[in-house]
Amino acid sequence: MKITAAGLSDVGLKRESNEDYLTIDNSTGLYIVADGMGGHQAGEVASRVAVQIIQKNVNNWITKNSPMVDLFDFPDMTLSQRGNYISSSIKLANRVIYEMSQEYTEYKGMGTTIVILAIMPSTIIAANVGDSRIYLIRGDTMEPLSKEHSMVAEQLEMGLISEEEAKISPLRHILTRNLGSTGIVDADVFEIEHINNDRFLLCTDGLTDLVSDDEILSIIKNGNDPDYICQQLVSEANKRGGYDNITVSLICLNEQNDEKQGIIRRFGTFLKNKK
Amino acid sequence: MARVILVFNKKVIKEYPFAKDSMTIGRDEVNDIVIDNLAVSGHHARIDKTGDTYILTDLQSTNGTFVNDKKITSHKLLHKDKVIIGKHLLFFAMSKQEQAKAKDGELDKTMILDTARQKELLEKQAEKKAMAVPAQKGKLGIITFIDGSGEGEIQLTKKLTKIGKAETSEIRLGGVFMPPTAATISRRPNGYAISSTGGRTKVKVNDQVIKESHYLKDFDTIEIGSYKFQFYSQDSKDAK
Repeated sequence: MKITAAGLSDVGLKRESNEDYLTIDNSTGLYIVADGMGGHQAGEVASRVAVQIIQKNVNNWITKNSPMVDLFDFPDMTLSQRGNYISSSIKLANRVIYEMSQEYTEYKGMGTTIVILAIMPSTIIAANVGDSRIYLIRGDTMEPLSKEHSMVAEQLEMGLISEEEAKISPLRHILTRNLGSTGIVDADVFEIEHINNDRFLLCTDGLTDLVSDDEILSIIKNGNDPDYICQQLVSEANKRGGYDNITVSLICLNEQNDEKQGIIRRFGTFLKNKK
Repeated sequence: MARVILVFNKKVIKEYPFAKDSMTIGRDEVNDIVIDNLAVSGHHARIDKTGDTYILTDLQSTNGTFVNDKKITSHKLLHKDKVIIGKHLLFFAMSKQEQAKAKDGELDKTMILDTARQKELLEKQAEKKAMAVPAQKGKLGIITFIDGSGEGEIQLTKKLTKIGKAETSEIRLGGVFMPPTAATISRRPNGYAISSTGGRTKVKVNDQVIKESHYLKDFDTIEIGSYKFQFYSQDSKDAK
């Protein structure tokens, strides 16, 4: 399988520093975006620490093929082994950030959101905590592969407010979960199958606050080069005010053995037509 | 420290300093701010302090909570906000310090709500509105063999259920032409979706061949090679 990926993190127009952090690792198939919060550079520390801890541990567990019982916290039986690596690494990163924020006054109140996409040999794993998002673009449609942990999203899901109310609610930015504010956190983890030409977008709220889902989809559909698409998305958010840091990462799948499959399939249809 | 000033008929009745992390408002005597009026629900609303922000939430009261003449579900309180509950007015006032902090344009800043109580509150709200909630998303999917070849029903508790010949499949199917994985069913944010993994065995839903993936609805029939299943979902307690 061939993966092409790009990522871009921009400070935006209003903020002085960039508290977002992203990593793209084609060799292990791990893609992470984090949106840190907390003053005096603590937000930057939180997002960077989270990404590094997750990356290091997941890669380590994969190399060692660690059994699920060896991971941090209890395994989740609804997930595969690799899914548990991701979920457990998030819990571990949360604990480290939480303890740092308790221990050092300069880190008090720091936290971060996290979105992870892991392209594994048998599945694709998507995990998130907070309001950063993962989208799956398959064919002409785009759907979320993450769950938003904000007050507004929860109220929306419970049917207490309408989508229109949610869009303008001043509570949009109040999170109900993040990494660093409590000792224990649960991520939402999803696993899906590979389908050729699938594309995935990881992004922070700096993008999704300003650019609608439909607009994002049309930018992605009209582009080919992941680098170019990322630039388009960031500049669109900046055009509309860019009041937050903007981070995007686009990952595209291409099955290499497509041609071979094609021959078998063609032979199959040939046989069928003969009948 | 912020204050809440209770006003009725243009007269100040009482002033409440905001000394705790949250204050409740209602007719019941256990509330921090008790308003003895029939238009007010027993547990009408509450104000939570998160960091420098005060959030007013209506507790699904009968007559609603209004801020500056607009009905709200929840609202971030600002200096001089007028909260109307029944015929009473609650005037919200912040200290100069707090006003300055609020003015720093923190509206766009992401914050974390760290109270477990808020969760309870949301759950409580949901219980009351349970009828209006589209519960579809949290449902547990189940598939049953309808061709008599397999054993009873299979609960789709896993995030990704693999169907095929491979030993690692959650649902194992035999047959000469059955690939190791013929199809997968993934539990996504929007529900259950079945995908064909591109082998030679066709995957059909309601007699239509699935090329990539397809969201499953109750009582859809699924065909994988010569096997036939039916999908349905039911409420589950462990659903998130």
